[in-house]
Amino acid sequence: MTLRIGLGVFGMQSVPQRPDHHVKLYRDLLEDAELAESIGFDSIWLSEHHFWFDGYCPADLAAAGAILGRTTTLGVGTAVMLLPMHSVEKVADDAAVISRLGEGRLSLGVALGYRDPEFDGFGIRRKDRGKLMDAMLPRLAESCRQAEPPVPIYVGVATSIAAQRAARLGLPLFADSTMTVTELREMLNGYNAGARAAGVTPPALHALQRDVFVTDDRERDWSMLLPELRYMRRQYGGWSFPQEEGETTPAYLQRLEADIEAKLKNLIMGDADYVAARLREFEALGFGLIVCRSQFGNLPRESLHRAIRGLGKVRAQVST
Amino acid sequence: MRLGLGPVGLKSATRSSLERLASQALAASFDSVWVEESRAEGAGGGLAAAAMLAQSTPLRVGAAVDTGLYHPLHLAEDIAVADLACQGRIEVLLRLSSAATEKYAAPVSRAALEEHVTVLGRALSGAHIQWNGKHLRVPGRLEANQPAPQRLALNPRPAQPVVPVWVEAVEPWMAELARTLGFGVAVRWGTEADVPSPTGRWPGMVLCSGDAQAAPLLAAAGEHAGYFLVAATTAEQVAAAGRRLAGPLRMPGFPAWVNSGE
Repeated sequence: MTLRIGLGVFGMQSVPQRPDHHVKLYRDLLEDAELAESIGFDSIWLSEHHFWFDGYCPADLAAAGAILGRTTTLGVGTAVMLLPMHSVEKVADDAAVISRLGEGRLSLGVALGYRDPEFDGFGIRRKDRGKLMDAMLPRLAESCRQAEPPVPIYVGVATSIAAQRAARLGLPLFADSTMTVTELREMLNGYNAGARAAGVTPPALHALQRDVFVTDDRERDWSMLLPELRYMRRQYGGWSFPQEEGETTPAYLQRLEADIEAKLKNLIMGDADYVAARLREFEALGFGLIVCRSQFGNLPRESLHRAIRGLGKVRAQVST
Repeated sequence: MRLGLGPVGLKSATRSSLERLASQALAASFDSVWVEESRAEGAGGGLAAAAMLAQSTPLRVGAAVDTGLYHPLHLAEDIAVADLACQGRIEVLLRLSSAATEKYAAPVSRAALEEHVTVLGRALSGAHIQWNGKHLRVPGRLEANQPAPQRLALNPRPAQPVVPVWVEAVEPWMAELARTLGFGVAVRWGTEADVPSPTGRWPGMVLCSGDAQAAPLLAAAGEHAGYFLVAATTAEQVAAAGRRLAGPLRMPGFPAWVNSGE
């Protein structure tokens, strides 16, 4: 079996530590895609969020179109599109055309989304997201099956409950980077049981996202990475569980810090041999595509490219 | 005067057919090359397709998009990201499609469309938006969503300070709406005697057939500039349209002998 390695996830954020203009960030993205293709990566993946001060990419498919135009063999995926905030007809019609123009290189990862201000921007109640997803996902899956070429769909999940939705439709998972091996194993067991109960044949392989940084000098790169990782995790943590009413700011920051420390432990960092061995552990669980996030916010170009080339060595090891 | 090629329908286009056309447009001295959605037939992705095309041509790229079908902030976000990925070369034509409106179960009233296009314009302007309309409320400020901001803005912004946007005016009120919002006005050749007058810096746009001739277009433009999209599709048509139109449209007194074949 061949383990596919995707490069991601790119959000094109103009972060406070390195507030490049977005014209540069999108130019950099296209250069990174060309580099990924030249190294032989399976695919590159884009992330989506809305209405945030650092200009996090809100329109993955528009960016995907540009990458597909710049490359010829590299797959391009969304990791993940926040489907309940969109029109399912729009996504289906966009994906059908982009898949044809991209000669079958587009994949869609879709998930619920979780940040109240994003739902609110589009006039949608966050609490309706599950119902919306239940209604939209089967329609999108059918449209994507009928597209020529068909568009592979992955369902982004961070919990077993969310995996049940995908199981009922027999759609492969795109597991969140923060899940532990134990959580992943439990989720896959639940998924397989759910698929059996629904009379659906589960897919052979699922996709997984991991934070990965390949380095030959851990000390140098850790001091460079830590502030970037802390920024990213603080941002996601702040979105996932905002300060509660009545909670003091120091208490909130303490809660956030605890989450950051826990999530930082999921980072796979080391030389190519070490990273390859770690990724094979996930392959053994049933993940055939691992999207390795090496871009955290907006890393210095030289550091990012060194990590991408290192990950290329990992890809060469695990994909043969 | 400006000269665009297209719009080319996305229903059956392939990457190679679009890139070939863009190459022919460049060789024939067109200023831009355009693609066109047909969401009633399942062909969306106009801005993604334009962003793709921009990677293979130095020309400006345009997308004719079906409008009023989904939330205008999504359209604004698509425009912004496509423009950034094209390094500021995106142009947009907003169109109405009644068949697509039905398919998307979108609101069909004039008032709804006015709100939709107005919110799009405000978002593209970079303003911090709070819109309280009959059909749209942006942000929603729904009690169920907490915390929810009172205003929001499009971020990232497009690369261009002002993205050129035209509205295809099939009824007079659409032209009025376009002008109110600072958008250009577009018409189909044959439905109007004149090229629409400019809106600010944006010339009136005319969608022409592939065999459009320079003299009637210049007569229709009168004292105004015009932006002519020519729907030539084959290599021969594109080359011929460029020869026939580029020179005469760009400078008065184009010498007839240039194209006489002698």
